[in-house]
Amino acid sequence: MARLSVPTTARLPSTLPVETSNSAVVKLLNRLSRPSLLSMVLDWLDPTNQSLCPPLLQSRDDDDDDFYPPAGSLEELREIYSDMQQRKGSKREVVDRIVEGDWRNGVTLYQLAMADIQYLYDHPGSLKWTAYKIQRLKTPSSEDAAEGPQKMDKESMPIPRFHPSTFVQNLQAEVLPDIKAHYNLDRPEGMPLWLLRIFILDSPYNTGLARAATSFDASRTVYIAFPDASPHVYLSNSQSTGATTTGESKSLRALIVEGIPKAMSRPRERYALRLAGHATRNLAELLHVKGAGRSNAAGGGWSIYAADDNRRTDSPLNPVLPTPPLSDEDAAENLAGSARKRRALSTKTTHDKYRQEAKQARLVAQARFGDSAKADDGKGIERVDILIEDAFPDGRRREGDAEDGGEDDSSSQQHKKTKGRKSGADLAFERSQDDDDADDARDWKPKVRLTFHGSHVFAGIRQLVEAGIVDGERMPGWMTGEEGVTIGAVRHGRIRGHKGSGL
Amino acid sequence: MSSRSREESLDLSIADQLDDEIASLRAQVESLKKELKIQTSTLMVSEPTRKLLQDRSKKRAVNSLDSGHVAELLKKSDEQVAHQQQCLYRSCASITSLKIRDPDPNAVDGGNVLGLRFEVMSKARFVRPYYVMLNRPYPNSRNLRVHRHTVPPCVPLAGLAARHLPAPKAKGGEADDDDEPQLEQDLPRFARALRRELVRYQNRIGIIGDLHKAAGLNNSQASERDSDAAIIQHISPADAEAKQISVEWSDGKAGRLIIDDDGRIVKMAVQGENGRDRGAVRELLGGNVRIEELMGQLEGT
Repeated sequence: MARLSVPTTARLPSTLPVETSNSAVVKLLNRLSRPSLLSMVLDWLDPTNQSLCPPLLQSRDDDDDDFYPPAGSLEELREIYSDMQQRKGSKREVVDRIVEGDWRNGVTLYQLAMADIQYLYDHPGSLKWTAYKIQRLKTPSSEDAAEGPQKMDKESMPIPRFHPSTFVQNLQAEVLPDIKAHYNLDRPEGMPLWLLRIFILDSPYNTGLARAATSFDASRTVYIAFPDASPHVYLSNSQSTGATTTGESKSLRALIVEGIPKAMSRPRERYALRLAGHATRNLAELLHVKGAGRSNAAGGGWSIYAADDNRRTDSPLNPVLPTPPLSDEDAAENLAGSARKRRALSTKTTHDKYRQEAKQARLVAQARFGDSAKADDGKGIERVDILIEDAFPDGRRREGDAEDGGEDDSSSQQHKKTKGRKSGADLAFERSQDDDDADDARDWKPKVRLTFHGSHVFAGIRQLVEAGIVDGERMPGWMTGEEGVTIGAVRHGRIRGHKGSGL
Repeated sequence: MSSRSREESLDLSIADQLDDEIASLRAQVESLKKELKIQTSTLMVSEPTRKLLQDRSKKRAVNSLDSGHVAELLKKSDEQVAHQQQCLYRSCASITSLKIRDPDPNAVDGGNVLGLRFEVMSKARFVRPYYVMLNRPYPNSRNLRVHRHTVPPCVPLAGLAARHLPAPKAKGGEADDDDEPQLEQDLPRFARALRRELVRYQNRIGIIGDLHKAAGLNNSQASERDSDAAIIQHISPADAEAKQISVEWSDGKAGRLIIDDDGRIVKMAVQGENGRDRGAVRELLGGNVRIEELMGQLEGT
């Protein structure tokens, strides 16, 4: 270890060892399950990884009272861990062997990063991701313009390009000199994105003393995901919940957010990040809505235009008359049973009526949601926040609204949502429908904020529509998730700002 | 004991056989149904059929049931003819418009949406069309705005929309944008420019796939060739717009080939073990100007 602490500007090398006495090391390893821990260790023991995570190997045989005698060779060590993989045992056993045995001299930053990323793969919902859009800035035409506020270049044609190693190099140049960072790039399996883990050490030194002084808690880690072929960046929110570190971790995160566009920019090609209003724990969903495919600006019912399935061949060379999307499956049954249906309508037994209504509701749900928002599509959003900025509807229905019990009575005139709070918003939408452009300042505009919570918010709304609890035809468009935002303000019944366009 | 187990396995195999048979029969039914549909559609639009139907409907058959059937058939035939015509337009014009109704009850302009459908060919077949939906959100103005679209983000739709479909200036406020004159919207130009970008993009993707194939990377015997000469191991698009192609050789050389929008070669650099390898660049490009011409080069080696 160096005797002198000399500040450097280089990034932290991956081979930098961290003492295993550090509580963070054990904590990081203990978070993993036994199988993933063992497979990770076997990965460490791969001959190609020896420069990054060298285990302690026996040089001369002394020290017989060692509880974990060092193995003679890599193969031997691999065998020991493979054996552990075969038989059952506790996680404790593996962690102890790593910390007190084979890596007692310290695990490297690379190993810690791997352990952290492995935890992320094992628990994909453990991080909340916020999507940012990368936008090109106008090249200032003069010195004065350069001083002024940045302007978006709306007419820009090139798509921002991401090159991992150049980006990391530039980002290091942007990070302040009194901070050290460790970068680890990884490509998760089955997802078209690059994952960059940044671990920050707020000390200009990279010696053991500095490392021992800082805690290795999660708040110092920031993940950035770069989806392939998409002008978006996903940033992980701070993971820690402790009150003491929030301020610090926020500032570290802010630093990174500032650094990203600068690191992406090149001479005469500047970029800025803009919040895309989308935050979720589900990376697959994020890739669907802010990814590389066709589905970015065609959510909800519009997804039938973006769907990439072979079921509906949309080729102009297909001579067969396309059946309307709603009756694909039961087209034949529809034709045959149309007469029967008419009869069923006329008899109007209650049972038939319910069945009819249920079918109608299903069709409406299909029309509004298309193929999206299925409960099992793995694209669940767990939280949607909507702020209603529409004026309160006039007194016409205020009495009804006041005694809003929350129970759905079937006096279909009163169109209610599931719970009382939504009803007010609902009326506001009706109102906004009536006079669209009366943006009167005198109107009373209560701040109504709706928060939808659940494992898959839009699938839940779809189920409500299918069950006939929410009137699918009068439901505002943002309830279908077609805007692709999880945070938004509603004015005139539509998400404000981008007027629903995906540009 | 053993005979019993054999019996069981026999039973099992019979069950399996039956399952297989059922599956194959089902598949046959499916294909026959498909065939029936195609035959029906052909028959329905054929001139003699239509003539027959029209004559029948004019004659007013005595049997009311029959006339109902004829009317129904005629209606279906008309639909089929309309569809055929639409398909003809779609396959020839490559940009067609359609009318869509926005299901959102709060939609602007009463939910009227103009859809543009872009047909793009790739590998001798039509890919799923790209759609751009436009609406009229501006008060007192008939100007259009992109509402929804299925254009992938690697095609600069936003830039094209800003150029050809600029938003009208709000009266009064917004002195932000200096004193630029109010620009006119030009939908045909927008559609043409967008189609051009889509086709170029599809072509670039296609040509990279073709290069991949020409270098013999699709089949596994590529590695069996004599290992003295470094062979290309990997060809893939390196950026979103597929204008940069990364090429990797088996001896660790890595190269980057940059093409422009239309597939002309702009630049290429190869990094070998000891610095830049200009020889490899010359060998690969061989004085070619267009990316398509590389195909012969790759096939030759």
